[in-house]
Amino acid sequence: MRAIETAATPARPLQWQQAHVVEIVVETSRVKSLLLRVASWQRHLPGQHVDIRLTAEDGYQAQRSYSIASPPEDELFALTVERVENGEVSPYLVGDLRAGDRFEVRGPIGGYFVWTVEAGGPLCLIAGGSGIAPLMAMLRHRDRRKVHIPASLLYSSRSLDDVIYRNELDTMTRCDTNLRVVYTLTRKQPEGWLGPRRRIDKALLAEACYSPDQNPKIFVCGPTSLVEEVARMLVELEHEPQTIKTERFGPSGA
Amino acid sequence: MTGTENGSDVVLDGNAAAGLLQEIFVSDITSAQIQCAACGSVAAVGSLRLYAIQMGAVLRCRHCEGIVMRAVHTPHDRWLEMTGTRSLRF
Amino acid sequence: MSKSPISRGFKSRRQETPKGRLPPGQYVTTDFPVLSAGPTPQIKVENWTFALELGEAIVGEWNWAEFEALPQATIKTDIHCVTKWSKLDTTWQGVTFDNLLKAVGLAGPPAPYIMVHCDGAYTTNVPVADLIDGQGMIATRYEGLPILPVHGGPARLLVPHLYFWKSGKWVRRLRFMEKDERGFWESLGYHNYGDPWKEQRYEGD
Repeated sequence: MRAIETAATPARPLQWQQAHVVEIVVETSRVKSLLLRVASWQRHLPGQHVDIRLTAEDGYQAQRSYSIASPPEDELFALTVERVENGEVSPYLVGDLRAGDRFEVRGPIGGYFVWTVEAGGPLCLIAGGSGIAPLMAMLRHRDRRKVHIPASLLYSSRSLDDVIYRNELDTMTRCDTNLRVVYTLTRKQPEGWLGPRRRIDKALLAEACYSPDQNPKIFVCGPTSLVEEVARMLVELEHEPQTIKTERFGPSGA
Repeated sequence: MTGTENGSDVVLDGNAAAGLLQEIFVSDITSAQIQCAACGSVAAVGSLRLYAIQMGAVLRCRHCEGIVMRAVHTPHDRWLEMTGTRSLRF
Repeated sequence: MSKSPISRGFKSRRQETPKGRLPPGQYVTTDFPVLSAGPTPQIKVENWTFALELGEAIVGEWNWAEFEALPQATIKTDIHCVTKWSKLDTTWQGVTFDNLLKAVGLAGPPAPYIMVHCDGAYTTNVPVADLIDGQGMIATRYEGLPILPVHGGPARLLVPHLYFWKSGKWVRRLRFMEKDERGFWESLGYHNYGDPWKEQRYEGD
């Protein structure tokens, strides 16, 4: 596995390629993961994204960006898509798309919001809703490489049913004492829920994240409002701004 | 990303413009350090405040909100304007 | 260049609209997307002024109360964004460009071009010929209510027969120019004029 770098990669122009849908996995009532095969795919770094482009019969095109949720170690690459109310592309991807269908992708893109085991830890991940996708690529990569760098995930969702990858995350934590996952459920909690039941605040961050003197690598991904709030609070908790990397995806989401 | 959906445009991170910038620079510059000409502060391109992604990219300084770089991809050309950049370090 | 493959079953959001109502390449939306080149300025009307300028001279200047006291007009119109959404039958109220000229005692425009200056350092250029005769307005109300900051309030230019990037949000000055100069998007690859019916989105179209 290459270490993180962009300088050593020969510069190549980004090109649109065909992606074939191999399998579709239902994650929650609003979220599906699309497993894709692209003929000549350059292995991505955990955290990178792709642009996708859909073309209708009348020639109309729509373009969106989605984070790659799978690790580079997996053969197929996966996009995790949440259906957005009144969206144009997500209702198609989550509602109509079938195995065997195809669309165009371009990428992998983005060297900024990236983590590999070579970067070391501790790794501190904070997710809101479908913002978990690029962070899951990082955790899955860490898992495939069997490198137990200390890692924590603070994951905010509306309800337990909206937690994406819940079984997989629970399995990971069961087998790895160096991984800690905290779910906070903001709207609805099951009977007997003992975990947090509120939006991410400083207390939750202080508890779930590593302290600044442990120098964690911090990644925050989710709706813009959550990301802005969390980044601000992390700085108030005395984390260095350069150690916090954010990825906003607009007002939608959990 | 994941899902720059719903047609509304709000502030994103420079990383969301990575594809557009890579069309222009041919390599990924989101990890490059860029210096704002207005206030001198330095940041990674991927961490700049990104506006107007539907029309191109307007990248603003986190410190002073001044425009550091603008880029547009049209069917005919790619445009780049960097008068707000003092330096770019790869 | 090879054509993009069709994604089975993918449809645009284009709804059925009366023929000839939509410019080419546009689709109708019922929401009101927000697109901005920068953060939303939070402008207090107590501090707001609006000016007409010619060279170095200020030809007319109004504070909010004075501006609201000018003759008001209401128009119902369609608006078309270069990013392909259109919104039909939108209602706006404000002061027409014609009434601004009248208010400063100008029988006609003193120069052929205008540079529109807005908060947030946004600019756009419009020929005066496209603002007179009721084609242009400084709008302060949308659907009967004060325009929200995120949509350009307290006042924005409205010149709906051109792509909506020309209807500069948070407008503060209109500067007459002898020679045309390109504004923010026009100097970065977008079309200098922007007629949606000729699909003039980009320079070179």
